[in-house]
Amino acid sequence: MRQRTHEGFLRHKGFRWAQIATLLCLVVVAVYFFVAARLAEPPSGGSWLGYTLGTISAGLIVWLACLGIRKRVITAGHYSLKAWVSAHVYLGLSLTVLATLHTGFQFGWNVHTLAYVLMMLVIASGALGIWAYATLPQRLHGNRGETTRKQMLEAIESLDKQLHDLAQPLDRAGAQVVRLSLEQTEIGGGFWRRLTGAHGDCANLRAMRKLKQLPAPATPRQAEALARIETVLQQKADVLGLARRQMQITALLEGWLFVHIPATFALLAALTAHVVSVFTYW
Amino acid sequence: MAQEFHLKLITQRSGGGDPIVRERRLEGLEATIGRAPDNDIVLADLSIDPQHARMRFIGPGRIGIESVSGLPFRVAGKSVQSAVVDAAGHPVVAFGEYTLSFAPGEEAEAVEVTVTREDDEHHASPGVFSLQAKVFGRRNMAWVLGSGIFLLCLAIPMIFVLFMANPKIHPDQQWSTGPLSKAHAFMEKDCKSCHANAFVAVRDEACLTCHTADPATAPKALDAARRLGSPFEPRLVAEHAAHADLEKATPLPPGFGRKVSVMVQRTLNHPTDRCASCHVEHTPAKGGDPTAPLSDKPKLVVVQDCESCHSQLKMRLAKTDLIDTPDWSKHPGFRALVMTQAGPKPSFQRVALDTAPQERNGLIFPHRLHLDPLGGVARQAIGLGKAAGYGAALECASCHRRDASGTSFLPIEMERDCADCHSLAYAKVGGELRDLPHGDLDKVVATLAGRTVSASGGSDRTRPGQIRPTAFAASGASAYRATFSRGGACYDCHTITWDGDTVRMAPVKLAAKYLPRGGFDHGVPEHGGPGLAKKGGFKCADCHRAQTSDKSGDVLIPDLAKCGTCHGQTTAKIAAADDADCTTCHSFHKPGQATPKPGHPPLRTLRWTEAITRREAGA
Repeated sequence: MRQRTHEGFLRHKGFRWAQIATLLCLVVVAVYFFVAARLAEPPSGGSWLGYTLGTISAGLIVWLACLGIRKRVITAGHYSLKAWVSAHVYLGLSLTVLATLHTGFQFGWNVHTLAYVLMMLVIASGALGIWAYATLPQRLHGNRGETTRKQMLEAIESLDKQLHDLAQPLDRAGAQVVRLSLEQTEIGGGFWRRLTGAHGDCANLRAMRKLKQLPAPATPRQAEALARIETVLQQKADVLGLARRQMQITALLEGWLFVHIPATFALLAALTAHVVSVFTYW
Repeated sequence: MAQEFHLKLITQRSGGGDPIVRERRLEGLEATIGRAPDNDIVLADLSIDPQHARMRFIGPGRIGIESVSGLPFRVAGKSVQSAVVDAAGHPVVAFGEYTLSFAPGEEAEAVEVTVTREDDEHHASPGVFSLQAKVFGRRNMAWVLGSGIFLLCLAIPMIFVLFMANPKIHPDQQWSTGPLSKAHAFMEKDCKSCHANAFVAVRDEACLTCHTADPATAPKALDAARRLGSPFEPRLVAEHAAHADLEKATPLPPGFGRKVSVMVQRTLNHPTDRCASCHVEHTPAKGGDPTAPLSDKPKLVVVQDCESCHSQLKMRLAKTDLIDTPDWSKHPGFRALVMTQAGPKPSFQRVALDTAPQERNGLIFPHRLHLDPLGGVARQAIGLGKAAGYGAALECASCHRRDASGTSFLPIEMERDCADCHSLAYAKVGGELRDLPHGDLDKVVATLAGRTVSASGGSDRTRPGQIRPTAFAASGASAYRATFSRGGACYDCHTITWDGDTVRMAPVKLAAKYLPRGGFDHGVPEHGGPGLAKKGGFKCADCHRAQTSDKSGDVLIPDLAKCGTCHGQTTAKIAAADDADCTTCHSFHKPGQATPKPGHPPLRTLRWTEAITRREAGA
């Protein structure tokens, strides 16, 4: 019988890759502090230890970047994607130690430090990703309850239709208010709005405020329409709130990739420049 | 047939499929348009006013449309308050999302109006929940950043490096792994002044462009440094040994990592015997006093010490005749460079001092005679008096004068150092004495030619500045013969032979340095130099046994054991104890000199102007 309990990529095989990465770091730190003091020159990437750490680090970076290729290939077995991700996470974190020791703590305004900074940026964004994947899916589930994303959108659409129909008897001013909600409301919004969840100037909200400021309706029919419109606008605001929280959590879940992926490509380029330039001016 | 509107209302189905078409006739010449249900044409669009516009026939096929609410409508894309359209032209008038297309009706004078709604309803897909960035999408940014960095940081600098000779900008500067030392900072922008060839480690030729001590090319080196804009005069350095021998003679460094490193470097065309192997640039001079002069220079990385190469050297370099010195106690005794043949081209031989070697310098000079405090020389020195710089028995400094640096002595010059006693005067003309020209036998012979002895007899020992009576005592003999004969001016110190009537004199050459591979500082107080020495310091006679030497051929240099009296001892044994390592007497780049401490002169003293002053001062 296959075990049904879910084991995430972090706990894969009882933290096997966490152990391997920790061991790697410990060994490297021990070797560094043993060797660096005995080096004739100040520790740098140019000593034998520096070259060794640099080769390991560069190899790791290239392998880590290959996750992008690996995840698009469906395979099974020992080298499961979960194992890859687990190794990716822990070996990636161990790079902070390996590459820092490779620098010999020498930094400057040059392409070499650029590569280092980009690498740290990739790792930091990756760490955010670990946090996101470890905590956000639960929040995502808690927020939406039993409602699916499709249902949320359908609800908004249906409420819009109701608003459109209800507003038909209204005069121009009333119609403008409803149009504001119908035409200007953005469910998601841009990148930062989604990440921050700042929807204070939401058109639906503004419409609700303006509705209250309208002059007294001319006919009982209009009065009735306005009363119903107010209810529907509030219902729409509730659904929007739910959908937007969903979007914000999703944005947090995906946002780190907007740093992680571009920074990885930048890193690969800077790493190439770093290695080639070092040997150009050997 | 009357003028009337045939309305055709077309509704697109949101789910697709055939549109719903409803047709209706409007009786009368006028029709109202608006959102309110009491209009002739009801347009359920909230951007349209309840009573928005009115249209009516104003001629055959011609319809006037005007806004009644004040809100405009669009004809041919233009926003208007009123318009007249001709159905024959199939005009289209737009109200909000609705369009009214006019066309001549099937029946005469009737106009067909097709009302359609532009269905721009779009349904949000669940994909809307995903984070998207239009411009700064993941893929866009990845490619832009990646290729941008590749271009700016690698491709463009590489083009400059490989194909540009004297570029105005230096994009390869970003490849610098760290600042250059202050001494070399003027080349900071010009990577290629040292990194001459891409993918080839910095070669010695680049360093020697400015630093070669080779006498033939050294002037060019100084010019090169000026041309490159160096504010400092480069230090000229000599090879420690023939370069080809250096790597061969050097063992692999200690430690596994270093051994592997050296072997890998040698394999990858990154030789470890280059200047840059030890003098490392682009690295902070960590450790030590940051204000020390060395921190201004490239970081010196010493992987090998003297002992590691000078141990079992013959195993690596069979042709060497150097004796191994694995440590201080194994240091061989001194083998002085002893002159075996004096003359303009003297020949030398290294001879161990413990064999009491004799030097053939051609000079007759007994040190004992001159230093005997009770002898005749002492008497004469006392007689000369203090005013003449004597007044007491001779001491070493009476003849051996310190040079400007104070570390060594000037070569002996007869006129300056001997002539106070050993007069060269041969004649008195108008009350002034004439001296023989010392140093050139032919000139002496020419000077004396034709002269005869004129002086009267008297004491053989005369005051300086007087003509020596015995020099001309041989009555009837020529002054020439007398000068070179017993009692003559030259006879005491020079070995004279006669070839018939022609005088022959053994050439004289005094050794300048007996130990050319080591430096000794006579200026140190403990070495007899001026200043207060630690207790147990030395005087000349403590090391040089001149007072008992009867022959000028005696080599009066003390052996190594004498150095060991203080060096390598503890202060418990001798107060003047001092450390002793190889650098005390030897240096890597300047054979025959001690390694200066703290290594180099301060950088500021190497500025061109100060360097010239320094040279003029003879330092």
